[in-house]
Amino acid sequence: MPLRTYIIRRLLIMVPTFFLVTALVFTLIHLAPGDPALLLLVMGGKPGTSSESVEAVKEELGIGKPVYVRYVMWLGKFLRGDLGSSYITGQPTIRMITDRLWWTLELMMVTVTVSLVLAVVLGVIAAVKHPSLIDAGTSLLAVVGYSLPSFWISLELLLVFSFLLGWFPSFGARTHGTTFPSFLDALLDHLRHLALPVISLTVGWVAYDFRLVRSSMLEVLGQDYIVTARAKGLKERVVIYKHALRNALLPLVTSLGYTVGFLLGGAVVIETIFSWPGLGKFAVDAALRRDYFPLLGFSAIIAMMVLLANLCADIAYAIVDPRIRYD
Amino acid sequence: MVSRLSAKSEEETEEVHKPSKATQLFIAWRKLKKSKLAVIGGGIVLVFLLVALLAPIIAPYNPRQINQGMEKLPPSTKFWLGTDNLGRDVFSWIVWGARTSLYVGFSAVLIELLVGLSIGMIAGYFGGIIDEILMRITDVVLCLPTIILLIVVLSMFEERGIHTTIIVMGFLGWPFMARVVRSAFLSLRESTYVEAATSMGATNWRIILHHILPNTLSTIIVLVTMDLPWYIFYEATLTFLGFGDPLTVSWGILMEVGRPYLRTAWWITTFPGLAIFFASVGFNIFGDGLRYALDVKTRG
Repeated sequence: MPLRTYIIRRLLIMVPTFFLVTALVFTLIHLAPGDPALLLLVMGGKPGTSSESVEAVKEELGIGKPVYVRYVMWLGKFLRGDLGSSYITGQPTIRMITDRLWWTLELMMVTVTVSLVLAVVLGVIAAVKHPSLIDAGTSLLAVVGYSLPSFWISLELLLVFSFLLGWFPSFGARTHGTTFPSFLDALLDHLRHLALPVISLTVGWVAYDFRLVRSSMLEVLGQDYIVTARAKGLKERVVIYKHALRNALLPLVTSLGYTVGFLLGGAVVIETIFSWPGLGKFAVDAALRRDYFPLLGFSAIIAMMVLLANLCADIAYAIVDPRIRYD
Repeated sequence: MVSRLSAKSEEETEEVHKPSKATQLFIAWRKLKKSKLAVIGGGIVLVFLLVALLAPIIAPYNPRQINQGMEKLPPSTKFWLGTDNLGRDVFSWIVWGARTSLYVGFSAVLIELLVGLSIGMIAGYFGGIIDEILMRITDVVLCLPTIILLIVVLSMFEERGIHTTIIVMGFLGWPFMARVVRSAFLSLRESTYVEAATSMGATNWRIILHHILPNTLSTIIVLVTMDLPWYIFYEATLTFLGFGDPLTVSWGILMEVGRPYLRTAWWITTFPGLAIFFASVGFNIFGDGLRYALDVKTRG
């Protein structure tokens, strides 16, 4: 199958999957016992609500209609770019999401970049030095990093580096109420805000990616073509970086796409702790207040992001490893 | 090259003289004992189990007991790990919290096992259109990050308690299990002993329960061990974020309680976090050791 056909096919599969995911979330939300209560809570936030507005909300939510009718109603609006609005702030969901999307993406991209660089360097060292104390030590550290709860790391970082030492700010993405003399100062201020959230997220990811790189590198180093490369008298550096590493990174490419979901999940918690103005904090707030439309809109957007990331992973894999297309 | 060849011939001889179940178990046990990490992990898990079991004996106080005038005391000989904002003993809370965490972990894994096993077995054994439909559903559930799905679903529940959390986690956590079981079934379905059983007129259920399932057991054991710490972690995260019942004696609740006092009373959040860490390190290392000892590949 040529690459273009493959991509088109994968894109087409994405459409029904997206509908199914949103339908699933929709059904799950409505399965929860509390549908009339949902309305009460929604209205409960605003005292003195008139009966007309209650009727209007009932109409909007489709109370009394079957779940699938409500889903179709919601989907119809979604496809026209209308994600409803928040009952608490009255803001349209789409605005709330676009305002925050960038911050989450930034957090994720920086985390991925830092973890990848560290994981590849450490993973290669551990695999090349296998078996040795260095290998055993880094592998043990990886298990520790993998098991540390990210929200606990962030609290401890806050305690030490923000409260005790005062090196980093404890919340937000920039210092409010200050005007910076230059762009560079503003950037520096932003980076200082970014540091602790990124470190909190990175610990787990470095550990995860490290294990992946190490095991895949170990596997590749045992292959015949590495023996051949060495037999040809190539320098060890060339063997490791040109012959082994390139192939060992293949599983990392797919894993990157598939871990976007986990990354987003981790961001939810970390953003809440650091009051990072991203999607994660927004989702937790919306969920705690049962803000119906923002929550649905958020789930749909996340599903779309994950699906897109999976697609990119599959395409990237098809490009770097042509065998996969014939599956 | 030589070693690869010899490894292959070893595999072949194993095919011919397949060791009995008891011998296999013995080999696995010996491998497990030999791995230092697995022993350490198993030890941590054991300590954790004992603490949960003996909580009434170990804990010096009732974790819910509010001591007025003794709020936010730092660790001392009287309160080993200090007290929280209501004067409750942090150490006792953590000891009893071990019980809650284990309960959460085991119950959620049990639900995951029941759902994942059934779906994986049916999809892998029957194949065809049933498999196609079930696997599409699995893909769809896998599409949303677990923690986000949990938050969205839990937020809609009127009653927020530990059981709601367990049920929701178990019912959303099965896809991976289902996939692994399915792929194990897909390959075992083609094996000669299943063919032999079929030719002797064994029913589908007999083949599934007596011939295929016992052979996927090691994979399932490893998956369960590796998933258990995740449920402990998810429960702690969810309660920490405010989706739990504040009256439950759980590690996450203590961290949520202590979060506003991080600056003045670091012990309230630090120690329960360490407890979560030790529990997951124990299960993770033990799971790694088990995977190695039982020779299981955990790729779906």
